[in-house]
Amino acid sequence: MLYLDRLVTRQFEGRRWTLPARVYAAPLELYAGLALTGGDLEQELERLHYRRVTQLDRPGSYRVNGTRIDVALRPARFADERRDAELLSIFTGPEGIESLRDATGREVPVLRLEPLLIGSIFPIHGEDRIIVTPQEVPPLLPAALKAVEDRKFDSHHGIDPQAILRALWVNARAGQIEQGGSTLTQQLVRSYFLSSRQTLSRKTREAIMAIALDAHFTKEDLMNAYINEIFLGQDGDRAIHGFGLASQFYFGKPLAELDLSEVALLVAVVRGPSYYDPRRHPDRSHARRDLVLKELVAQHVVSAQDAAAAARRPLGVTSRPAGAYYPAYLDFVRRTLRRDYREQDLTEAGLTVYTSLDPRVQEAAERALEHELARLDRPKKHPEGPLEGAVVVTSPESGEVIAIVGGRNVGYDGFDRALDANRAMGSLVKPFVYLTALESGRYNAATVVQDAPVDVPLANGRHWRPENFTHETYGAVPVVRALADSLNLATVGIGLDIGLPKVAATLGHFGLERPPEQVPAMLLGAVNVTPLEAAELYNGLANGGFRSPLRAVRAVIDADGKALKAFPLEVTPVASPAAVYELDRMLVAVMNRGTGRAARAYLPPDLVVAGKSGTSSDFRDSWFAGFSGSHLAVVWVGYDDDAPTGLTGSAGALPVWAHIMAALHTRSWSAPMPEGLAETEIEYPTGLRVARGCTDDAVAVAVPASADIPAKPGCVLPGLTTLIDRAHEWLRNLVH
Amino acid sequence: MFLAAAGLGLAACATPGPRSQAPGAPGAAVQPTAPGSSPGAAAPGSAEQPPPAPSHNPRLDAVTAALVKEAHGQATSGAYGAAGATLERALRIEPDDPLLWVELGRVRLADGNPDQAEGFGRKALTLAGSNPSVQSEAWRLIADSFKVRGRNVEAVDAERHALGLSPH
Repeated sequence: MLYLDRLVTRQFEGRRWTLPARVYAAPLELYAGLALTGGDLEQELERLHYRRVTQLDRPGSYRVNGTRIDVALRPARFADERRDAELLSIFTGPEGIESLRDATGREVPVLRLEPLLIGSIFPIHGEDRIIVTPQEVPPLLPAALKAVEDRKFDSHHGIDPQAILRALWVNARAGQIEQGGSTLTQQLVRSYFLSSRQTLSRKTREAIMAIALDAHFTKEDLMNAYINEIFLGQDGDRAIHGFGLASQFYFGKPLAELDLSEVALLVAVVRGPSYYDPRRHPDRSHARRDLVLKELVAQHVVSAQDAAAAARRPLGVTSRPAGAYYPAYLDFVRRTLRRDYREQDLTEAGLTVYTSLDPRVQEAAERALEHELARLDRPKKHPEGPLEGAVVVTSPESGEVIAIVGGRNVGYDGFDRALDANRAMGSLVKPFVYLTALESGRYNAATVVQDAPVDVPLANGRHWRPENFTHETYGAVPVVRALADSLNLATVGIGLDIGLPKVAATLGHFGLERPPEQVPAMLLGAVNVTPLEAAELYNGLANGGFRSPLRAVRAVIDADGKALKAFPLEVTPVASPAAVYELDRMLVAVMNRGTGRAARAYLPPDLVVAGKSGTSSDFRDSWFAGFSGSHLAVVWVGYDDDAPTGLTGSAGALPVWAHIMAALHTRSWSAPMPEGLAETEIEYPTGLRVARGCTDDAVAVAVPASADIPAKPGCVLPGLTTLIDRAHEWLRNLVH
Repeated sequence: MFLAAAGLGLAACATPGPRSQAPGAPGAAVQPTAPGSSPGAAAPGSAEQPPPAPSHNPRLDAVTAALVKEAHGQATSGAYGAAGATLERALRIEPDDPLLWVELGRVRLADGNPDQAEGFGRKALTLAGSNPSVQSEAWRLIADSFKVRGRNVEAVDAERHALGLSPH
């Protein structure tokens, strides 16, 4: 007895709940000039579970008045500052946000909404919780808990003998041990100190420990411990503990903002989080919530009127649990953090992790993949398993990963294809072959190369004889066409001429960590990469030849708000900006008239994008990688067992990519043309320089200003046309 | 050194001056458009039109200026990490503004990371188009990053670039 007393007191006094690291998405930055309409803005507020009201009352609500939106912002913590609750007025117009003003009417240049909680890093089969202080608990909650679970909480000494006798009587009658008769203190003891096996001796220990706890601690302290300790739900491996997390888990908002019906539902769930799971058994939990409401009226906690109004409300539970929304993204975050932190620090130390996830982009990527795979998979070509896919989206200039989809079942925390599917990149490798060629100074976009049969004797005495996708040869073609139409033979010719080591070095500079095996087949993509690695390689192309290691974590702060670690932007030049610009212009040609042109059907007509399709041998992998001015997306589609899909990159991955790009507010690709390059037009089939309007089969390319490009006879006034074109262009822009 | 240069950057950021050249002006940056987008676009299959220059949005000047100012305050008190994070916020809003890249490079340099400072200077150069004053800012940053590393020959060359002279 004395032993139990000491044990209880010491453990409870030194109690420190293990706090899993909490992971947040990127906060939305609001500023005048942001292309976010009033409707978009409301969606963003709804995502953070702000309530639309007619009269602003407390933080977490907003009011719409024509084009003006008033928001009662919640207090928020960012990596670099803490912000109190405050009022913000947002004035919107057809183009987006026009201005922001604070409560005094002063203009605010820029302001962040609080970041969305996207999950936590908890141990396997572990407890997850959000600790709340008594100030963060609506007074209704303890009152309701007492009324429903333990009416004599304020006066008893840890146990309620009458209730126990009642329970024993019921148990004896039923012939088995049933729930009941436990005070809140006993429930706390059970959850905190004991296993959940129900035996009589355990019951005795529980009672003794409850009495000891009650003797040593105040009722307020015990109530607060109960509110933070108790089990309220299960989410896969994650055990939802405490009302702070339960509020986020079921309603997506802080505990302080819960109304009567929501508090009543959580109190209903206490009795049996699995049996009364409001997502799986809405009818059951609804009935019990209403029972709780009735009990609250009977105990004079709330008025009959309020209870009746609350009973008319729907359950209000979010369709998906908050947190653990984005397992593939969290997986990447976890792997990043494991380099610097012990597992125990992540799952116990109460760290806060700020990431660059953009929930809007993430959801667009998930939708596009689910939707397109469902469409592509309909003929059920492969009985072994469903067609799978993965998506990585980055913001090229910051090197930030803003969305990751690890498979078509997006909520499933399993095989993460974006990080672990290591697959042949196919023609996705070609831009790096061409970039190496451009950097050598011996090739430009208009250089005519031969697309002709290739025969490479291999070391083992055999011969490598690749073919074009169409099994045809195309003869003399300009470089831009060889890339845009993804001609294998022309590419192999260029690659062998430049040399495999140089091509391999380019891939290394752009971030490929494992050096590829330097065999000729490397030039056609016999190089395995994960979708994330492909994204890193292409990010350098989208970022003008600058490599930025991809990152998802912006900052980590500890439980006291102290900044622990930041992952600052790094920018390293890895290729000549002129060569990359020239290449990027060719990748624009891929989209406008090459293997990527099918995307145009989905994209806004004036959106400039650049990209490349990839198909590995026997159609095992369907890839597409491409970028606009503000987003890069890589899509992989294939079977987990490497079976042929029958899909080219253009047929499988491209529509997914195009749907993602079409769903984003994305800017056209654009870059200032580096000095030393000149804009020119060439005939697509021949590479001959042509005047605008002279042929309807021309393509605009950027080439070194010194490049001597033969003119198409009768189609150009040598040396003059480009100048006239530019003057035209200039005049046209003046007029507009 | 950092503060002087940073102050210069802020002035340039806050004044909606001639930052990059007018779209389409001769010699200005060129950008391709998607087919069918320009008024003069001809039949399908014709060449893309060479097109408006990358846009610096003057509406965002007030936004980025506010963040740059905040970053300067943080850098002054030696909080280079925080200053960098604030400038990254600005860059996410306006990634095509070369002066923001110079600002961030200045913070990296003050924080003892001249290699990264040079990278930011070179990134700024690719965004500067043919704007001489912006080019000059970027070259000065690159020159300073060389000086810190004791690479004096390269520093002098970069300085000549900053002054608008041809390198040795």
